[in-house]
Order: sequence, then structure tokens, then C-alpha cells
Amino acid sequence: MSSTNTPSSSAAAAAGSVDSSAARRNSKRPKYSKFTQQELPACKPILTPGWVISTFLIISVIFIPLGVISLFASQDVVEIVDRYDSACVPPPDQANKVAYIQGAANKSCTRTLIVPKRMKQPIYVYYQLENFYQNHRRYVKSRSDSQLRSVKDENQIDACKPEDDVGGLPIVPCGLIAWSLFNDTYALSRNNQRLAVNKKGIAWKSDREHKFGKRVFPKNFQKGNLTGGAILDPNISLSDQEDLIVWMRTAALPTFRKLYGKIESDLEKGDNIQVTLQNNYNTYSFSGKKKLVLSTTSWLGGKNDFLGIAYLTVGGICFFLALAFTVMYLVKPRRLGDPTYLSWNRIPGGR
Amino acid sequence: MKRFVYINDDEASKELCCDNRISNRKYTLWNFLPKNLWEQFSRFMNQYFLLIACLQLWSLITPVNPASTWGPLIFIFAVSASKEAWDDYHRYLSDKKANEKEVWIVKQGIKKHIQAQDIQVGNIVWLRENDEVPCDLVLLGTSDPQGVCYVETAALDGETDLKTRVIPSACVGIDLELLHKMKGVIECPIPDKDIRRFDANMRLFPPFIDNDVCSLTIKNTLLQSCYLRNTEWACGVSVYTGNQTKLGMSRGIAEPKLTAMDAMIDKLTGAIFVFQIVVVMVLGVAGNVWKDTEARKQWYVQYPEEAPWYELLVIPLRFELLCSIMIPISIKVSLDLVKGLYAKFIEWDVEMIDQETGTASYAANTAISEDLGQVEYILTDKTGTLTDNKMIFRRCCIGGIFYGNENGDALKDAQLLNAITSGSTDVIRFLTVMAICNTVIPVQSKAGDIVYKAQSQDEDALVIAAAKLHMVFVGKNANLLEIRFNGSIIRYEVLEILEFTSDRKRMSVVVKDCQNGKIILLSKGADEAILPYACAGQQTRTIGDAVEHYSQLGLRTLCLAWRELEENEYLEWSVKFKEASSLLVDREWRIAEVCQRLEHDLYILGVTAIEDRLQDGVPETIETLRKAGINFWMLTGDKQNTAIQIALSCNFISPEPKGQLLMIDGKTKEDVSRSLERVLLTMRITASEPKDVAFVIDGWALEIALKHHHKDFVELAILSRTAICCRVTPSQKAQLVEILKSCDYRTLAIGDGGNDVRMIQQADIGVGISGREGLQAARAADYSIGRFRFLKRLILVHGRYSYNRTAFLSQYSFYKSLLICFIQILRFWNQSFQFG
Repeated sequence: MSSTNTPSSSAAAAAGSVDSSAARRNSKRPKYSKFTQQELPACKPILTPGWVISTFLIISVIFIPLGVISLFASQDVVEIVDRYDSACVPPPDQANKVAYIQGAANKSCTRTLIVPKRMKQPIYVYYQLENFYQNHRRYVKSRSDSQLRSVKDENQIDACKPEDDVGGLPIVPCGLIAWSLFNDTYALSRNNQRLAVNKKGIAWKSDREHKFGKRVFPKNFQKGNLTGGAILDPNISLSDQEDLIVWMRTAALPTFRKLYGKIESDLEKGDNIQVTLQNNYNTYSFSGKKKLVLSTTSWLGGKNDFLGIAYLTVGGICFFLALAFTVMYLVKPRRLGDPTYLSWNRIPGGR
Repeated sequence: MKRFVYINDDEASKELCCDNRISNRKYTLWNFLPKNLWEQFSRFMNQYFLLIACLQLWSLITPVNPASTWGPLIFIFAVSASKEAWDDYHRYLSDKKANEKEVWIVKQGIKKHIQAQDIQVGNIVWLRENDEVPCDLVLLGTSDPQGVCYVETAALDGETDLKTRVIPSACVGIDLELLHKMKGVIECPIPDKDIRRFDANMRLFPPFIDNDVCSLTIKNTLLQSCYLRNTEWACGVSVYTGNQTKLGMSRGIAEPKLTAMDAMIDKLTGAIFVFQIVVVMVLGVAGNVWKDTEARKQWYVQYPEEAPWYELLVIPLRFELLCSIMIPISIKVSLDLVKGLYAKFIEWDVEMIDQETGTASYAANTAISEDLGQVEYILTDKTGTLTDNKMIFRRCCIGGIFYGNENGDALKDAQLLNAITSGSTDVIRFLTVMAICNTVIPVQSKAGDIVYKAQSQDEDALVIAAAKLHMVFVGKNANLLEIRFNGSIIRYEVLEILEFTSDRKRMSVVVKDCQNGKIILLSKGADEAILPYACAGQQTRTIGDAVEHYSQLGLRTLCLAWRELEENEYLEWSVKFKEASSLLVDREWRIAEVCQRLEHDLYILGVTAIEDRLQDGVPETIETLRKAGINFWMLTGDKQNTAIQIALSCNFISPEPKGQLLMIDGKTKEDVSRSLERVLLTMRITASEPKDVAFVIDGWALEIALKHHHKDFVELAILSRTAICCRVTPSQKAQLVEILKSCDYRTLAIGDGGNDVRMIQQADIGVGISGREGLQAARAADYSIGRFRFLKRLILVHGRYSYNRTAFLSQYSFYKSLLICFIQILRFWNQSFQFG
């Protein structure tokens, strides 16, 4: 910004305006207030050794127990993970899995899981996909929220390309996400007894009630040249198609779990669980893994050691620093506020 | 190169270009937008934001709505542009006011009223008392029969005293009526900015007598922006007009100032940009490779088979946009905001209000507060900045007797008053010299009081003091001086005035006592210029001691002397003096030589001591800022001795033996070179010692030093913490600032007069004192404060706060955006560059 005025050649010419502005300036005498005088109370801690060491100590004292508690909570969770993508392809087709999955052969497959520990209900059943990019730029945008919400907006399919319409008729639900809906199914049984998997209430309540319309029914779905994933029952409204709702809430990372259902009974240690699954979904072309997960929860959620480890690490570092500073303080103390430390490029006191 | 100005001849002067229109504007209506945008886009950061904003227009690659970048960008630019426009509009208004002022000029023999902007070179311009001079004029006639007029040049050189200007000898005695019809030619140099020199010749055409060439000096000119005072009217022929006047030429265009922090931020931005490009290239290549190998296998994405030609660019550009937050656009807005607040804090500060006038501090430039915290050199004006510019006669020593030592005020010393009433010869002579050895003009004001118009404040103080001691200088009528002493009127006739020059360091008058017809030489001057010429028998020891004593008190001393002349001696000398005065070459030097022949065998009357009052708290302020590692230079238009004395009294330099003062002087190239070398050598030796070494240089030597020994002088500037530059012109002040800036020092210039404007604009920070010498400096400055001592608070409180805050804000801004960006970059790896 430039200074406001160059010296005008005409002191007299400008004198008038200057005088008036000077007068204005005079009358506008600054008022006293703590803010204008920059005298508001402020707190700036002086980092004395005592302060620093005790702060670090307090942090470590809080964090280390928190980490231990989180780790225990995580340890309490019982989780069964079974990868079946490769195992469910019959040996003759192992060489060409893509051809197998795209073929018409029977895709059912049976897996047996053994419960390692007693699992208390509710037990959640998830499917886990790996190397599947639900967050892909083309993919994540390819949906029409307004169409999902109400019938009258079913023609709003601009964002859905290339899965937007079939012969000029709009697809409901349109877009790549819905089109690639996961279509493996699992039937669980314990000791030859069917184990009920509750598929109600697996989607978010807000999604069911607000984002997916009660009167919106699937239309022209999977009728295009290419068939993607699951086919939807055109007689069930979208708000009740909870598998779709779960799927449409796209995952942020390429490895993700999605809720398949809930088992509302306890499983005992050593129980044999047979899973009869329909292995329909093609993850072979991009070498993605498919896993079936049964898991309980603790107050801290699913099985995840990260939080505990993070707490422990931070607490540990703080404890170590507190220790190190104490040693430094005892071995080589330094005068607080010594101005010679302010200068790094010249001899103190000199030029 | 010469320019020929034909007086009163419109045809002949026509090709001499411009009219008297002055323009300080930076923009016109047409070039405002392109020029302003160009200026704004010369900053790297702005170019970068424009690039990002343009990329965002391409919907294929943008992850966000382009409005999110364009909105803030346009807002920022609009704010800066409208600020500029507003400033420029005000400049335009003030120019217009000056340009449209009505002046009287003579055209084809008729007096006409025209606007100032229509004055052509060669026009005869008429001025009345208290008029401002609209362009540079060569004086032709005045109301005074002797052809003298008085001007106030404060706007030009900052000196508040009145200066006399005389008409050229060729114009003496020309009738008022004839002035209208005057014809002639003036041969003058092409326009330059030297306000101390005007070497021209004038020749009048018949029927005017004197067909000889008559030389002109600066004494024959009226320069633009001066005021005509104490003279009923004056007229002159315009030689330089518009932006070509001495003032117009020395007016620099104020460059927009950029703080050290801004420069650093720009540099940093550049570095981050390079880093960003590297990141984008790596990610872009990885993304393209991954897309071609892996992404086609992802059936659920349905990649199109055909790709447009720019396909390869798309992924890198997307990464570029995603990484664009690495350089925070918010930093410009937030910095502007907080800087505005810093400026407000300065204006609000109740501790920086001048209690006398009630003037608060004012920050005209809101953008450079944090530079206040990094000042390394302060260049200060003296008169009106360090001092109050009020001279008061305090003590004297007459014939070895000290007066005023007890109570610090000689005017109230009973001993002196007794001596006056008893009629001691020495004392009365002393008072006579005080009263009439000067160029003061007494003016009878309407109330009947006598007001003195003096060229220098010292003379003013002496005359006023003499009046208080009953030696009242009542009137000056041509060459006749009237003094009232104890009720009786004494008359003197002035025969010659031997003027003050900075070399002679003394001035004398030769007067004839009308009572007894004696011719007397009255002298006053610096001790070193008077004492060596004392008459043989006189002991000058006591006088020397008195001078020493007074100097240590920080008072300005003048020695007064007296000699009776023989009539023959005077007449003989007078012829030589006239001869010397009419010389064209080396006139000054010859006159000095002739004067010397008269000024000898002086009877030393005594010493006067005048106090040039320092402003409150100046020594403390300088000392505190010194302790903060800030170096001080004093640049003054004043005399060397005065400057040194003030410097001593305000802690600027230390007296011996703690300090050492080195002089650089000389008239010729060789002298200056030798002197400079010597000083440089001493400086190098004493650099390691804890001794306050300062150098003193005067304007003349400075000019030579800058011209021929620029490198040496720069080295000297780096070595010395303190310097005193006296007799320097406004443009030299600016030059000195420029030298310090070129050594990468942060400079602050502080001044109060029109002569400081250039330096204030040139320095990194310009501070104006809104004091007595008008508001010119305060208007050109970035900050204006009421008193010098507020500088301490301005620098040490506001400067430091602003610096710390800006540093914190910008560092945090960069830290924050880099952090966000690194999270994203890490996620790109996690995502296998999924942005195809």
C-alpha cells in the first residue's frame, strides 16, 4: 500500500483539507479502554523446568492408564474373520477365477467357523472387502440423492452416468454405487440348527427415514447391457432395502466392513458354525479380498488396538521427556531469562 | 544543456513544452484497472492464486466449486484496488486545487487573471504578500525600492526563517509600468532538483538599458511553493513550470512499501510452490501409472475406453488443485485484517497523544507495522524533530564576567542589569552587536509591538534578548537602523553586510554611527572563526573557557567582536569588496577573501549562549533505542556546529574521551578522498573497541563522496553506528537512506518538515512529526506522531507486538495449511492415487 500523499507542491492548496482533517483527528481522541490500550489480562506461561516437567508427568499419568483401559476393552471383543474369496472357487477354476465368477456355475460354498470364546449377543455379521475403492472419484459421485428421496425427482439422473437410464427410462436407483451392490449372501447354522440373522435395523435410522423414500420403488434396475451386482425387489420400497442403504453409504478407505446382519443369541466357546454362502460378487478381476466377520462389541466399539497403543505411546513419550528434562535440570541447570541465549548470530552486547 | 526563456514572448517560448500543470497522480481513469491489477499481480502469491482460480474453472479437474476461490480472490483485489483508487482520487483533488488557483500574469502587456496551470514559461507572474509562488520565477521587480523581497521556504527546505531575495542588477530601477512590457532572454540550465543553485544569465532587450549579460543566482529566484512575506508585491518571469520546477523535480514517486516480512512470505511461498510442483509431479506420474495398470480392472468404475488427448494432464492437475491449500489464501486476508488492527492500536494509544495539542498518533500506512519491530537504523532530522525549534538566550560572558550562571537566565541576572544601567562600555557594545549585527527585520505589528523577522533563529533570540535588556532594535529604514536604548534613539547607517557562509562561520556588518560618524565593524560568529582574529594584546583564554563551559552545557555559543575602522581603511576596502561582489566566477571565494582583510584585530566583547531546547525525553528515547541495538544518523540542513552541539546534548554522541568525532570535509575531490580514507582507517581500528565513534560530514563533502567514493562511503556507513550529516539537501537525505537500504538495513526516517519528505518516502518506514513546520512530512509519512519521544513506544511496544503477532500468524497459517495438505498427501498413497 502506498503512503497516502506525495508532497503536494501546494501547501496552501492542501492546507484547508489538512487543517480540517487535523481538527477531525483531534476531536476523535482515542478513548481509554483495556482493549484499545492492549491491557486486557493475558496469560502467557513461562516454561520453567518445573512447569514443563510437571505438565509432561500429568499427561503421562492420564494417558498411560487410558491406553491400558482401551487395550483391555479391545481385547474383550471376540472376532472371527474368515477369508473366503479364494477358498470358495473350486480347484479347477483357480487358474481363472474371473471366468468362474462371471460364469453360470453354482456359486454356493460352505465354510465352517469355530467360536474361540464365548460371544455375547448381539453378534454382528459383517462382510469385509479389500482393495475395493468405494471412494473412487467416478464412483462416489455417481448417485442421485434426490431421486432416492422422492418419486417426483426420479428423472434427476445427471450425476449417474454411465448408469443413468435404460432406453431413455430412468433407472431407480441410478448410478454406479447402486448398480454395483454387493450380492453375496450368507446362511448361518450352529450344530445343524439354523442361526437367525436379523437383517432389520442394520442401516442408519436417518438414512432409512429421510434419505431413502418410503414410496420410491426400484425401477429398470439392472436392466442395462451390463449387470453389476445384486438385483432389487421392485415391490419393496427403497427405505426397506437396508442392504442397499448400507452399501450406498460409501466407505472412505479401500478396506472396509459393511454390516450384513445381527445374531441375537449368544455363541458358546467351541461352537461350530456352518456358513453356506453364495459367492456371487466379482472381486477377482481386481484381486480384492472378501471376508466374513463375526464380532461382538465393547463399550469402545469393535476390535481395534490402535487407540490403546496411541495413548500408551504418547503417555510413554511424555513420561520419557519428563524424565529426561529432570535429569537435564539436575545435571546442567540454566538460568531462566538469560538474554545471551536470545542472540544466535552475534556476540552478546557487541555489534 | 541550456534553456532559453524569452521574457514575455509567447511565440518564442512555445517550444519550451509544458504548462504549469502539476500532477502527483499514479493512475488515470483509463489505466487504473490494468495498472493496478498489474501491480497487484507482480506479487508472486497473487499470481499463484490466480492460476489456481483459473484451473478451478475447468470442471473436469476441480474438486470444489470455483466460487470458493474466486470469491475471496475478487474480494481481496477489490479491497486493495479501491484503497488505491481512494488515495489517488485525493491526490487528484489536491492537484486540482493547486492547478486551478487563480494567479495574475501579464500577457501582451495586460494583467490577466488565469489559473495556475495555464502559466507558460516566459510569462510574467505577479504575486501579492502571503501568496504562494506557483512556479519557479526569476525575480524582476518588487515593491521595495531596493528590489528586495522576503520569502518563506519552509515547504522547500524546512527552514522556517525568512530569506531575502533580490532582483537582478539589470532590473534595478525599472518602472512599474515598464515591467509589463519587459523583453529579454534568460539563459538557464535545464530543469534540475538542486534548490541551492541556479546559474543563469539574463539579458534585457532594448529599450531597456544594460544590454550586458547579467548573471543570476538562486538569490534572484522565487521557487515554487515558497511564500512571499513582508513584501507588498513582487513579480517575476517563470522559468520552470509544472513538474519541471525545482520542487517538482525533487519530488519522488512514493513507491508502495513492502515489509521484510512480506518479502519473506513471498520467498517462502515460492519455495513451497516448488515443493508443491515436485509433489504434484510425483503423485501425477504415480496416478497415471496406477490408472493404466490397475484402474481398468475395476469394473465397478466403468472407465471409458477412449481417452481425450489431455488425459495425461488431468491427474497431475487434479493433484495440483488438491495441494493448492498448501499455500494459504487466507493469509493475505488475515494479515490485512490484523495489520489494520495494529494501526488502530497505534491510533488508540493514549500514551502517544501529544498533551499540548491533543494530537493522537496516526497510521496512514496500515501495511508496515511489523517493520517497526525490525528497525536497525533511524535517520532523524534535527530541527523540530529533536529540538523544539525555539531558541532562547540563556547566558553570556562579557569581558570575562559570566552572567546568568547562578539562575541560568542572564536576562534576570541583577549583575548584568546593574552593568547596563551603570553604562559599562563593554556591555553596551555587546548589546549593540546583539541588536544590530544581523539581518533581522523589525516589523511594527498592528498592536504596536515590534515583531522580528529573522533569517536564523539565533539572530532572532539575540535581538529579542537585547530588547529585553533595554537595547531595542526598533526600525530598519533602508540602510538606516534605529535603536532605542534607555529612552534615547541611536541611529546607525549600514554600510556593508559581510554575510554568513558556512565556511567563514561568522558574519559582520560595517555601520556608521550617525551620532559621531565613526565607522565600526561588528562581528559575530563561531569561536574558531573569531578568536584567531583577536587583536594582538587581548587575552582570549577566558573567552575560550567560556565557550568550552557553555558547550558542555549544550548551549550554542557565538562570539561577539568589535572594531573601529579608520575611514580610509574602510573606503579602500570597500572598493575591493564591490569589485569582488560583481565577479562572475569564484565570487563566493573572492568575497570571503576580501572580508578576511577587514575582519582582523577584533576586540572580543564576549560570548553569548543560546539554548536550543530539546523536546521532552529526547535523550532518554535515543538512549533506550540505542540499547535496543538501533543506530542513529542525524541528517540536518543546519550548520555543522549546531548539529554537533545538539548531538552532544541529546546523547547522540558522547563527549571525549568516551566518544570520538571524526570529520570528513574538504572542498575538492582530493581533500574529501583523503579525509574519507583517514576516517575509514580510524573506524576500522576502533571497530572492536567499546568506543562511540561517529563521523560528521557536510553536504558538499557528501556530494563528492557519493559521486567519487561511493564504495568507501558505503563501507563507512556499515561501520559507523552514528553519523551526523549537516547542510544536506532533501535529495541527499533520500540518497543516504537509499545507501543504508542497499546494505540491507531496515531504516526508519523521522522528520517534520517539507525537506524531510523525500527521505520519509524513501525509507522503509517514514515517521512524521506533526509539529510546527506544517504537516507536509506528516502527510507523506507512514506514521505521524506528536513528539519525538513517542518513537520509543512506537518501536518498542507497537513494533515489537506487531512483529511478534505477524510472525506467529503467518507461521501458524503456513503450518496449518501444510499440515492439512500432508494429511491429504498421505491419503493419496493410501488411496493409490484414486483420482483418475
